[in-house]
Amino acid sequence: MREFAAVYRVECRKLLAQSRVRWMLLFLLVVPWIYIGLILHQDRLPLETLYGRYLKDTGYATPLAILVYASQWVLPLIAALIAGDVFSSEDQQGTLKTILTRSVGRSAVFWGKFGAAFSFTALAVATVAVSATLAGIVAVGNDPLVDVGGTLRQPGAAAGLVAASWATVLLPTLAFAAIAMMVSILTRSSVLGVIVPIVLGLCMQLYTFLNAWDTVRHVLLGYSMSAWRGLLDSPSYVAPLARALPVAAVYLLIATAIGFVAFRRRDVAGG
Amino acid sequence: MSETFDGATVVQARGLVKHYGEIHAVDDVDLTVPAGDVYGLLGPNGAGKTTFMRMLFGLIRPDAGTIELFGRREVAGPVDALRDVAGFVETPRFYPYLSGRANLEILATLDRRDSAKRIDEVLEQVDLTERGGSKVREYSYGMVQRLGVAAALMRSPRLLILDEPTNGLDPAGIRDMRALIRRLAGTGITILLSSHNMLEVESTCRHVAIMRRGKVAFEGSMEDLRARADAVEYRLFTTDVVRAAGVSEAADGVANVRAASDGIRFDSTPEAVERLTARLGGMGIGIRQLELPRTALETLFFRLTESDGSEPVEAAS
Repeated sequence: MREFAAVYRVECRKLLAQSRVRWMLLFLLVVPWIYIGLILHQDRLPLETLYGRYLKDTGYATPLAILVYASQWVLPLIAALIAGDVFSSEDQQGTLKTILTRSVGRSAVFWGKFGAAFSFTALAVATVAVSATLAGIVAVGNDPLVDVGGTLRQPGAAAGLVAASWATVLLPTLAFAAIAMMVSILTRSSVLGVIVPIVLGLCMQLYTFLNAWDTVRHVLLGYSMSAWRGLLDSPSYVAPLARALPVAAVYLLIATAIGFVAFRRRDVAGG
Repeated sequence: MSETFDGATVVQARGLVKHYGEIHAVDDVDLTVPAGDVYGLLGPNGAGKTTFMRMLFGLIRPDAGTIELFGRREVAGPVDALRDVAGFVETPRFYPYLSGRANLEILATLDRRDSAKRIDEVLEQVDLTERGGSKVREYSYGMVQRLGVAAALMRSPRLLILDEPTNGLDPAGIRDMRALIRRLAGTGITILLSSHNMLEVESTCRHVAIMRRGKVAFEGSMEDLRARADAVEYRLFTTDVVRAAGVSEAADGVANVRAASDGIRFDSTPEAVERLTARLGGMGIGIRQLELPRTALETLFFRLTESDGSEPVEAAS
């Protein structure tokens, strides 16, 4: 456990020291404010987007509208940017040998890196969720929200629904992060570590738009990313979530297991 | 984990094998590094030195054979086996977006001991105190090399493994690095040093192993090595090349005499050369210059590494 804690601390420090990660967190913090600012300064609303029509009526529509965009491609992108080169950058910089010749074992290095990448991915999701909610409340107001079923939800309940909706996308986002790290370990390529999860996420999203087999659709991460919508119906239903979250967990576990075995067994012959 | 450390042997490799497909990177290597020694590992590119060193650090798994460091066998991962070991293989690498000091802090965290207290001391030892706050991407190759030594010293190791430590250093850096190695050796640390520079190995090491095509072609003390490399090439410049060549050909202990316009070359021993030069002087042939273009180690190195592979492995008892 002390080995894991040491690697985790080091990995968090390294991630924070990277300008890419700092800029991304800043971007996620600022973008919701720009988004709602632009919406308020134009006449038309994004009616085709879920909750787009309510963006000027209640602040709670902002985080939900942004969640629609985020769940389609932004969250896989965030996961890939943070986690996609956590391992492969060590290969490219030749620093894997540097850390593996100190007093930490490979398992600790693996779990410490996974832990740090998951923490920063969760931090990024929380940053955009909180920023979007605050931007909506400050710019539009702390007003009740009309849910998908037409029921008026008071601000307190609306805030709870927003938080729950964002919380449900965390697990599939972490699954994308695990896939990014697995690809990063297997290919030792930062480019593939970033691109593969994004392309995978887009392909899964495209499939969910098709009227194809539901059985396949239900085992895709794209479905897990949109399962939160049932929470906003009246009465709300959780059946999609009950299917989607275990699916996301399976993706996460399989990608983690493959990454762990590959990392433990590999020779560090370069660098 | 086996705990058979007898206090006399720091590294004991037995039957080490590593193949990459058809390539035998390390092929049945036995190697013993005595405690407190400065041990040189020599060999041309591709001889297997770096693969061997990576196996010592647990970075590469051997296909067969065992390694014991201080009597601890690497069976359950290298963390415990590397308790008293530090160093680097090939060029030391660091995070370029962090300062040299921040890199050392990170490594101290990973060491999980009081290494951090030694950061100032080791930066001073390698003359990087003033540049410790600069990002590593701004370092020269030689500075990275010195930072690698600092990172290794921070662990207060009992075994220091250095792969080409003077690579990329300017002449003053090379001089300082050699002085540092000698100083460390004086403190009782065992040093395993890989180098292409035979003069460096000859001047700093007490034992040496020469690798060729994945095998150990020679292992033993420098004295054994010098004794085996008894016939070394000399170059002699005299006032009368023709007569000097004739006298040399007839002299005991002198062989393979080749005359050129400016001087003669021959293989001989120090004792035979003493007799020859005295005789030339006695005959009125002036000696302008006597050169030893290759040291004993160089002579044996080329003999062992450039032969066709039929030469048997030599090992000093």
